[in-house]
Amino acid sequence: MAVAAAHVGGIADHIHPEPQGFIRKYIFSLDHKIIGIQYLVTGFVFFVLAGLLAEIIRVQLMHANGGFVSADTYNEVYSIHGSAMVWLVVIPLLTGGFGNLVMPIMIGARDVAFPWLNMLSFWIFPISGLMLFSSFLMGAPVAGWTEYPPMSLQAQGFGTSMWALAIFLVGVSSTLTGMNFLVTMLKMRAPGMTFTRMPLFVWGQLATAPLLMVATTALAAALAALFMERVFGVPFYDPTKGGSPILWQHMFWFYSHPAVYIMILPGFGIISEVLSTFSRKPPFGYRMIAFSSMAIALFGFMVWAHHMFVAGIAPFLQLPFMVLTYAIAVPTGVKIFSWIATLWGGSLRLTTAMLFAIGFLILFTLGGISGVFLAAIPFDMHTNGTYFVVAHFHYVLVGGSLMSIFAGMYYWFPKMAGRLLNEALGKLHFWLFTLGFNGTFLPMHWLGFMGMPRRVATYDPQFQFWNQFESISSFVMTLGILIFFANVLWSIKYGKKSGPNPWGGRTLEWMIASPPPYYNFKHIPKVFARPYDYSQPLPYKGLEEELTTAKPEPVPAGAH
Amino acid sequence: MIESRRPDVHLGRGFWMATAIYAILSIAAIAYWSVTPLSQWLPAASNTATEIDRFTRFLLAAGSALFIFVAGYVIYFAFAFRRRPTDPPDAIGVQVHGSHRLEFAWTFGAAAFVVLLSVISVAIWYGVEFQSTPGLVVEAIGHQWYYTFRYPGINGEVTQEMHVPVDTPLTVNVTSADVIHSFWVPGLRIKADMVPGLINTMHFVATRVGRYPIICTEFCGTLHGQMNKQVFVVDSKADFQKWYRDWQIKNAHVSNALPAAPGGGASGIDLSKGVATAGKALFAQKCSACHAIAPFEHRIVGPGLLGVLHDPKHPNLVNGKPATPADVAQILLNGYDGSMGHMPNATQNGLSAQDIANLVAYLETLK
Repeated sequence: MAVAAAHVGGIADHIHPEPQGFIRKYIFSLDHKIIGIQYLVTGFVFFVLAGLLAEIIRVQLMHANGGFVSADTYNEVYSIHGSAMVWLVVIPLLTGGFGNLVMPIMIGARDVAFPWLNMLSFWIFPISGLMLFSSFLMGAPVAGWTEYPPMSLQAQGFGTSMWALAIFLVGVSSTLTGMNFLVTMLKMRAPGMTFTRMPLFVWGQLATAPLLMVATTALAAALAALFMERVFGVPFYDPTKGGSPILWQHMFWFYSHPAVYIMILPGFGIISEVLSTFSRKPPFGYRMIAFSSMAIALFGFMVWAHHMFVAGIAPFLQLPFMVLTYAIAVPTGVKIFSWIATLWGGSLRLTTAMLFAIGFLILFTLGGISGVFLAAIPFDMHTNGTYFVVAHFHYVLVGGSLMSIFAGMYYWFPKMAGRLLNEALGKLHFWLFTLGFNGTFLPMHWLGFMGMPRRVATYDPQFQFWNQFESISSFVMTLGILIFFANVLWSIKYGKKSGPNPWGGRTLEWMIASPPPYYNFKHIPKVFARPYDYSQPLPYKGLEEELTTAKPEPVPAGAH
Repeated sequence: MIESRRPDVHLGRGFWMATAIYAILSIAAIAYWSVTPLSQWLPAASNTATEIDRFTRFLLAAGSALFIFVAGYVIYFAFAFRRRPTDPPDAIGVQVHGSHRLEFAWTFGAAAFVVLLSVISVAIWYGVEFQSTPGLVVEAIGHQWYYTFRYPGINGEVTQEMHVPVDTPLTVNVTSADVIHSFWVPGLRIKADMVPGLINTMHFVATRVGRYPIICTEFCGTLHGQMNKQVFVVDSKADFQKWYRDWQIKNAHVSNALPAAPGGGASGIDLSKGVATAGKALFAQKCSACHAIAPFEHRIVGPGLLGVLHDPKHPNLVNGKPATPADVAQILLNGYDGSMGHMPNATQNGLSAQDIANLVAYLETLK
């Protein structure tokens, strides 16, 4: 009876036996924490590969007439760099990675709603990643991560079709993860964990999950059409056969603009957690931070054509897209202001995670401001398709998303490994990375304004000085990242033991052992308030036995 | 825990000092962008450029001020509220959960700025987008990896440089012969994508004599990076006349001129000279955005044109006349405006007499 009631309530209050054996435990695992770590490891492997491609780009651009690789190779390199960074690095790390790792624990659940689906989502991801990189063997796509037809129809070899298949598959993985997370967050919260008591990281995931589900389907349709046109000759996009190249742009950006928010909303969540924990202060304006994520997610669907202001859409259509894009600045601004106010009056511990969060605030703001510039049609008419755009989205995706990923890694690594990352190496990583990053991408703003187009293997010699400056800075940035990886590898084995709660965090994941046991909680806790009031006792009941040697509840008879 | 709570921190002298410094820096930034012409870094050689630069300086001024305050407060707070070694290890911050007044203020402040920005943007955009007189209508066509140009009164295509007269209203229609290109002249701040099957239009007045590179900003294949060698030349009116006449003479033997103006009969069009294959390529370039090669019912903007000259179910054209090659040519030349919609005329579409003949020949082959 009790078992049936538990499942009706949606809370898995019985404990499934832990699987035994290396393969069931670590390879085909059903445990959300292991799957999260699998996502992180796979994502960072692809990050290294895509980062190497970025360095090929930077070496090529050391000289105005290129010369490091051929123009065709260069085009393949930046296309795969962009595709991999978006679909194989940032999205999986933030949703599949950190989302799996901590979201279920934060809401007091023992796992996600559909563990088998979760395993399936994960395993699709490395396979599609290998497919994407394998396209190098068959003539990789050349038309950038956006693959505008007719260019992408013209590309020879099977590579571009393989690209479409790979992205389609990774999209399936994203969609499944979105569904899984949404059901988990709606149905599996611990008793008393109302929506307005959820940690802000969970709010970030809650805003992201519907985006993953809805937007990705539009991309899937566009990719299926591209694949059919390339392989079977069904005309969708080829104007000589009555197709429309603009159709692809609409479908692609209908996905890819919300995808921008898929890549940042979970990061916003990480930043909220890190800033609160290390300021020893509640997030300023919890409700506004949470609801502004939802507002951004909603608005994110209504602005896609701002990528197409010079592509040939009717003037009266451009206007609402410009104004709605501006409107996104309001919830985003509210978030930034709230975070700054969170710092005010705090007792700030400037750990590496906190440094990355603070760096995020500054760099993401710059990316947001240049985003408003680009949303303005008159400015976009000059800078669309130039290095200004490259500067903008790297400030958002590296200064924003990647900084939040690093913050999350330093913050939650002890939860995964039971050991801290080395702080001295961490700070070195932070400073090298931040300086290198700004040196690489800041000059791109004026290069773009002064006339340097993007996606070029050679360029006007007047831009050579700043390109060399950028390339050298990018080496500094890469050095910082290498230090990060060295730190991770070293700390897994030799890092300082962290204990369950090294940062004095107050969300549920810090209430249990590091690494957490298979079943997360011996008893599902009851939640009485938001976690963030540092002057109050913890708002949980039922966690007394978590850090003791007491055995978890026995498996009730009849439980499956 | 409660004992170690720090006393309330109020906005002390440091905060107001920092605010004052940021205010001064912001005012300095705004002043700097108000007086600094962007043309010192990039020539501004059109009326559009002047407008866009004015707008860009507004964006730079507002953006700098905002960034100074955001980054300034982040850095100041990170420094001022850092934990000191003398603080107890369990020191906590002021447990403020928010302030309705403050949150209300910055939400509406941001919203008010968005409204202001929208109004300014729309005003500038309107001025740039809707410049009334068509003036000299020139066409630029993107190819892998070069541009060609067509002028009214010059037969065939002009290659290498694109010349326009200074201080004259201009309309540049752009399209592509293969993949998507873009037509960007940074010195004039004008850009439009060249999309096969679509004609994009720019209106502007070039205001400064000079030579400005034309750059492709939409990836178009292997040599995309080298599609920056051609030059947009703004000539004095006299120089332009000379250049124009030279090309008229040079291309006199080419029998493919843009009509100077629509209207009049289709008498200048020799339908017997139409080449269907040329018409097919032209159709993809200029018609396919609105017309499918599919049955009549298959409508994109206009009807599908499969069998337009052979469809017993639809024997008449949009103007009510029976579908004959000469009447199709008439519509291609003069366009159509009426209850059934809008079809651009030959000037707007950049069709020469030869082009029209080619298109009609092609349409005849569709059965």
